[in-house]
Amino acid sequence: MPPKAAQETDKQSKSSPSTHVLIEDMRKTFDDGSIVACQDINLSINEDEFVVFVGPSGCGKTTTLRCIAGLEIPDSGHVEIQGREVTHLKPKDRDVAFVFQDITLFPHMTVRQNIQFGLDMKTSLSGSEKEEKVREVAQMLGIEELLDRQPSALSGGQQQRVSLGRAMVMDPSAFLLDEPFSALDANLRDRMRIEVKKLQQKLNKSMIFVTHDQEEAMTLGDKIVVMNDGRIQQIGSPYEIYNEPANHFVAQFIGSPSTNLMPCTLEAGRDGISISSGFFELELPPDLADQINGYEGRVDLGVRPEHLELGEDGIFEADIQVVEPHGSRDAVYLTAGDRELVAVVDAGVIPQDRDTIQVDMDIDKIWLFKESGERLL
Amino acid sequence: MTHNTVKASDYAFTLLRYLTLFGLLGTILIPLAFVISVSFRPPEEFFTSGVYLIPKNPSLEAWEQALRFLVEPLKNSLLIASGTTIVSMLIAVPGAYVFGRKEFPGKDIIYYALFVSLLFPHILLIAPITDIWFEIKLYNTVIGMWLALQVFVIPFMIYILRDYFEKLPQNLEEAAQIYGCTEFTAFVRVVLPIAMPAVVAVAFLAFLIGWNEFLFANMLTSGQGPRPAIVELFLLTQGTSGNVYWGRLMAITLVLGTPPTVLYLFARSYLGQAFNIT
Repeated sequence: MPPKAAQETDKQSKSSPSTHVLIEDMRKTFDDGSIVACQDINLSINEDEFVVFVGPSGCGKTTTLRCIAGLEIPDSGHVEIQGREVTHLKPKDRDVAFVFQDITLFPHMTVRQNIQFGLDMKTSLSGSEKEEKVREVAQMLGIEELLDRQPSALSGGQQQRVSLGRAMVMDPSAFLLDEPFSALDANLRDRMRIEVKKLQQKLNKSMIFVTHDQEEAMTLGDKIVVMNDGRIQQIGSPYEIYNEPANHFVAQFIGSPSTNLMPCTLEAGRDGISISSGFFELELPPDLADQINGYEGRVDLGVRPEHLELGEDGIFEADIQVVEPHGSRDAVYLTAGDRELVAVVDAGVIPQDRDTIQVDMDIDKIWLFKESGERLL
Repeated sequence: MTHNTVKASDYAFTLLRYLTLFGLLGTILIPLAFVISVSFRPPEEFFTSGVYLIPKNPSLEAWEQALRFLVEPLKNSLLIASGTTIVSMLIAVPGAYVFGRKEFPGKDIIYYALFVSLLFPHILLIAPITDIWFEIKLYNTVIGMWLALQVFVIPFMIYILRDYFEKLPQNLEEAAQIYGCTEFTAFVRVVLPIAMPAVVAVAFLAFLIGWNEFLFANMLTSGQGPRPAIVELFLLTQGTSGNVYWGRLMAITLVLGTPPTVLYLFARSYLGQAFNIT
């Protein structure tokens, strides 16, 4: 008896009252275990949270989402939605809505029938009640005048809006979106992104959005889950993910242009710890030196492009390769030693004809990663 | 200059195209016209010299005889063809769906085995099937015909339908499942309606095979059983006693061709859609 009671309290402590979707130790493999799609997935999502799974293709983000939806059944671990164990339930019994990457409206039904499909299948509402709900949703999405058209007569953006409507009308406990806008052109994608964000705020429902586009992730998510090789690399707010990456992968994957990473050596010298890269040397101030606990040897030094300071004096000299205008800012591509670096500066600061420049960096803004990829500093 | 030469060759091409079309049309329509013509002639006119289309003494005698003769055989044909269609649909439609969209062990091997069965002449099967049908008392029965024809109707239908199912959008059933369907209702409520043109098309083809199939029908039925019209037609050409009554034969041919033609007219729009999904 006591062990069971202990287990239950333990479970409750993991899922606080506001926890809406909970994933514990989930693992999913394909082809008889030879391909591990995702493993050690632990995640809790609150009721009104906008969560974005981001990572390169094949990182397991879509598989994780499909496990939440019930389109895949995990090998081990479990999934809870609103405190209810759903790991082995059919998709239709989970009270979630899913918007697919490819447009998957039912081509033989009108837009109205498509939106109403879930209500027809799952509820016993009267015809006029269903009609009212469909109209409401259509109004919210601005697709009222499309209701009697066939999906084939709609543009890609409109079709995806209808997909959203089909999800919204169900009033599900969670929305799952699998790269819903990747087939749309860039302009439309930006607009849809803003709309989805607004929609989520209005509906106040948890939304899980999968994307491979780190910029999309940063703009949308309250909480970002960075994944790679089937594992969660870091969970955090966009601010945390950007400024305090947990490891080498996150530092490199998030941000554009991406973080400068330079192999260096950590050495304990006479007057403290120094970092040397071959073309520059930095002394770690004592407070930072304490944080690394005497770690020595090879590390990767990471610094965001906007934290490289270009000017008349610095710790090393670099050749300017290209100055790339990005509106209000310029991306400056540099080489130093045999390294390629990129810095971001205010537009027009670097004259186009300049060949070399001094580079400095703020020691408080640098990160150090162990060879294993783990963040050291 | 060049403009003119292009024009000349254009004319030549157009001319050639129409000649070819009329040539092809002629090979079909001219014999058909004579079939119709002969069906309205009295027996004296069958072998008269000289070619003419309009009978000199038109008579409905051949048609009267044909229709009287055809009552039973046509009933048999209709029973065999529609039953064959229904049985084959019940098996081939879900079968093709599974081959097109689901994964299961041995899928490829089973599919190719089915396909290979289409490559062999099914006349090979006549002896064993007749033998077995005798033994299990299916010889000379309508049900026996339904089942025997499935041997080549089902692989053929699966072959055509599988591609159609395969080409449907990837997540169709998954979307249906999210919004309240089981795998089965997703098939019935979403996939099947979308695949309707192809299903109608193969149903038409199955009916056509059931209606026109001769080999099995000839071997598996006798005069005491459900012998279909197509076999009766063939037996008439054998002319067991003296002369063949050609007028009646032509009338029977025309009657036999009518149900498939009517069906085709109904199924035509589906047939067109079935083989070019966008």
